[in-house]
Amino acid sequence: MRDYLKLTGILLIVCIVAAGVLGVTNAVTYEKIIEQAIRENDEARKEVLSEAEEFNKVDENGISDILSKSNYEIVTEVYEGRSQGQTVGYTVKTSPKGYGGTVEIVIGIDMEGKVKGIKVGENSETPGLGKNAATPKFQGQFVGKDWDGGVVLIKNGVPKDNEILSIAGATITSTAVVEGVNTALELVEEITGN
Amino acid sequence: MKLWKDFSNGIIKENPTFRLVLGTCPTMAVTTAVFNGLGMGIAVIAVLICSNLIISLINKIVPNEVRIPIYVVVIATFVSAVEMLIKAFSPALDSALGIFIPLIVVNCIILARAESFASKNPPLNSIMDGLGMGVGFTLALVFMSGVRELLGAGTFLNMPIFGAGFEPALILILPPGGFLVYGLAIALFNKLIVKKA
Repeated sequence: MRDYLKLTGILLIVCIVAAGVLGVTNAVTYEKIIEQAIRENDEARKEVLSEAEEFNKVDENGISDILSKSNYEIVTEVYEGRSQGQTVGYTVKTSPKGYGGTVEIVIGIDMEGKVKGIKVGENSETPGLGKNAATPKFQGQFVGKDWDGGVVLIKNGVPKDNEILSIAGATITSTAVVEGVNTALELVEEITGN
Repeated sequence: MKLWKDFSNGIIKENPTFRLVLGTCPTMAVTTAVFNGLGMGIAVIAVLICSNLIISLINKIVPNEVRIPIYVVVIATFVSAVEMLIKAFSPALDSALGIFIPLIVVNCIILARAESFASKNPPLNSIMDGLGMGVGFTLALVFMSGVRELLGAGTFLNMPIFGAGFEPALILILPPGGFLVYGLAIALFNKLIVKKA
């Protein structure tokens, strides 16, 4: 009986120490980690909409009618990009479902409805396959697509104007990215009233 | 001399991947590209050295009956703390190795070495064992991912190796290819290195 108490006690102490160490580490790093995430977000927005000098978060109440539609469920953030007092475009962050969970994508769209750039962010896709969605080669295909034609995914062949070539062996990831971009295009078209 | 033996043991004689067949799940998952294999290997080396050292230091005060849960708690705590610190203070390192660190918490090489080596040996030997096992794991991962990336994608570290006419055998970077390469690599390793009994 005393043995059980002793062993349980030792385990308890080890766990308390472990929890304490993790608690302290978390307290020290929590704000820094959030700061890093914010900085990364800022950089992603600048990358996909380089014309804009500053970004303002679009007030969600103002567009809540639009955002409440079921097809915009995957939209997580909308920012308005401004340059010299003029709105030059929008960046939309979407999180469509990929192969290994959600895939974060930031899409920059100008006022004519053209995709200026996309950036595939945090995801749990397969390294070497779905993770290749974050390569410039794949992301670059989306530049210049517009809300008239949308984006259509093809598996092989030479892509036409509104088409992009899927990543070999990662159709689900490619489909997710296309879904995210198309949703962003539709959303910006609605917000701008076109 | 003993230290050198502890180090070299993990590279060939008891290579964790090809001889002990440990850590197979991350092996399958990350060997689709050489960069990933290398990243995972380096992360494992770092964690293995430190976890072996910690286990070796605390092994006198840990009661035998509850040693495994204590090892699990110690290793998981250590890895989680390192993950948070890297995320907060070294974003560059985080974007390169960040995705591998959570995989290490559940990597059985760490626990296996804690149990079968570090708990019975002095700290310095345990460090050498961790280093050797980590290097052995890294070499095995680089070998497997090299074969898979080269034949499955036609590249090495993302640089195209073959001309445009090369049609990569995509199956090699898909899960079945992982099993194929792993099985053949173990066979080759046994043929070349293991002497007949």
